[in-house]
Amino acid sequence: MTPVFKLHKIIKRYGQREVLHIDELTIPRQKICAILGPNGSGKTTLMRIMALLTRNDTGKVDVLGEDIHWGKEQLLKLRRQMTMVTQTSFMFEGSVYDNVAFGLKVRGKKQREIRPAVEKSLQLLGMSAFIAADARNLSGGERQKVAIARALAVEPRVLFLDEPTANIDPQSAVEIEHHVQFINRELGTTIILVTHNLFQARRLADEVFFMWDGKMVEQGSAKEIFEQPQDERTRSFLSGETVF
Amino acid sequence: MDIIIQGIKEGFLLVWSMDPKIIQITLVSLQVSLSALFIAACLGIPIGAALALKDMPGRRLFLNITYTFMGLPPVLAGLIVYLVLTTRGPLGQFQLLFTPAAMICAQILLAFPIICGLTARTVMAQRQEVYDTAVTLGASRRQAAWAIIRESRMGIIAALTTALGRLVAEVGAVMLVGGNIEGSTRVLTTSIVLETRMGEDSRAIGIGIILLVISFSIILIINLLEKRSFKNDTGIQVT
Repeated sequence: MTPVFKLHKIIKRYGQREVLHIDELTIPRQKICAILGPNGSGKTTLMRIMALLTRNDTGKVDVLGEDIHWGKEQLLKLRRQMTMVTQTSFMFEGSVYDNVAFGLKVRGKKQREIRPAVEKSLQLLGMSAFIAADARNLSGGERQKVAIARALAVEPRVLFLDEPTANIDPQSAVEIEHHVQFINRELGTTIILVTHNLFQARRLADEVFFMWDGKMVEQGSAKEIFEQPQDERTRSFLSGETVF
Repeated sequence: MDIIIQGIKEGFLLVWSMDPKIIQITLVSLQVSLSALFIAACLGIPIGAALALKDMPGRRLFLNITYTFMGLPPVLAGLIVYLVLTTRGPLGQFQLLFTPAAMICAQILLAFPIICGLTARTVMAQRQEVYDTAVTLGASRRQAAWAIIRESRMGIIAALTTALGRLVAEVGAVMLVGGNIEGSTRVLTTSIVLETRMGEDSRAIGIGIILLVISFSIILIINLLEKRSFKNDTGIQVT
C-alpha cells in the first residue's frame, strides 16, 4: 500500500535557524501515527509541511503518491483530501451548521447534499443538538467536537490533530479520543496526532515518531517506543528527565 | 446658559418647520458625504484587504503612508484638491472647483486612508488563523481570502462608521473646494459656521441637531445591515 507521506532530506529554516531536518520519513496509511517530542522539537512544522501549509526549503515531499511541486492546482487537489484540527480550533462566525458546511460549500456541493452530510458528521460526534447554536458560544470541548465534525464532513483521507485535547477537560478529552479511534477504525482515515501528551499517544497510536531538536530520532510501533526505546533522548523524555 | 437652551428650543422648531433651504442643504450634505464614502469604500476595502493578504513590493511603505494620511487635516486635503482642480491645476480644464464633485473628491481623500488602513489592520489581525482553517477545509486561495474578509467584517464596518463620522463632521475641506455657495455647495457644517458668524445661534443649533440625527441614523443603518455581527455581542462580563 502506498504510504500517505514520504519525506526525503527535508530541511526547513526560519531565518538562520534550522528548525527541521528530516532524512527519511514514511507515514503508513490508515494508522494512527503520533508525532511526539518536547516543545520546539519541530512537530508542528513537520505537520504543516505534510499538510501543505508550509513549504520546505530543500528535499522532496510525496503526498498520497504524488511528488509535490507546489503548483496551485495540485495543492488544492491534495489539500482537499486532508483536514486539520488544532488545539484552539477557529470557528467561523455563524452557526455550528455554517461551520460544518464550510468545507462542503467550498467544494461546490449542492444544498441537498450538504445538509445530510452535516447532520451525519454532527451525529457521529454526538453534537446534533447543537446544529443551530452559535459556534463561538460553545465550550472548549464542544468546540473541538464541532471542529472534528467539520473536518469529517468532507470525508478526508488524512486527519491532522495538533494537540486536539490540550485545552479541554479530561471527560471531553476521553470522548474525543474515542471518536478519533472510531474515525480511524470505521472510516479508515489516517490520523496524524501531534502531541506531547505521552499517555494520549500511548492510548491512541499505532505508530510513534519521536522528534528532538528538529530531527526524527526514533520511530516504531507504540509498543516498541514506549517499552523499549533505543535512543537516549527518547528514554529521557519518556521518563520525564531532561537530557541536558 | 439661557441662550443655549433658547437656541436648542428654536433649533427643534426649525427642524420641525421643514424649512426648504435647510432640506436642500441637508440633501447636499448627504449626497456629498455618502458619495465620498461609497467611492472610498469601493477603493479602500479591496486595496486594504489586498495589502493585508499579499506580500507585494512597496506594501509596507504604502501602508505607512496610508496610516499617516489617516490623520490628514481636512483643510490640507481641501488644499490638495483645490490645487489639482484650480484653473491652473492639472485637472483645471474640467471646471470642477466650487461644485459638489470637488467636495466629493476632497472627502474621498479623507475617507480613503481611514477605510484602507483600518481594513488592512482588521484583516491582518486574523488572516493566518482564518486562512489556515479555510485552506485545511479545502478552500482555494480565493475562497480563503474571501473567508478572511468575511470574518473581518465587523472591523470593516467600524472603518466605514469612523470614516463617515469624519466626513459628516468635516468643514475645512468642503469650505475650501466647495466655497459654501447657497443652493449649490452649502452643506450642514459650512452652514453652521456661516449662521454662527451672522449671529443666528438658534439656526446654527438647529442645523447642528440635524447633523447629529443624520450621523446617528446612518451609523444605525450600517449596524442594522450587519445585524448578525452584533447579535451576540454582549460585551465583557465583569464580576
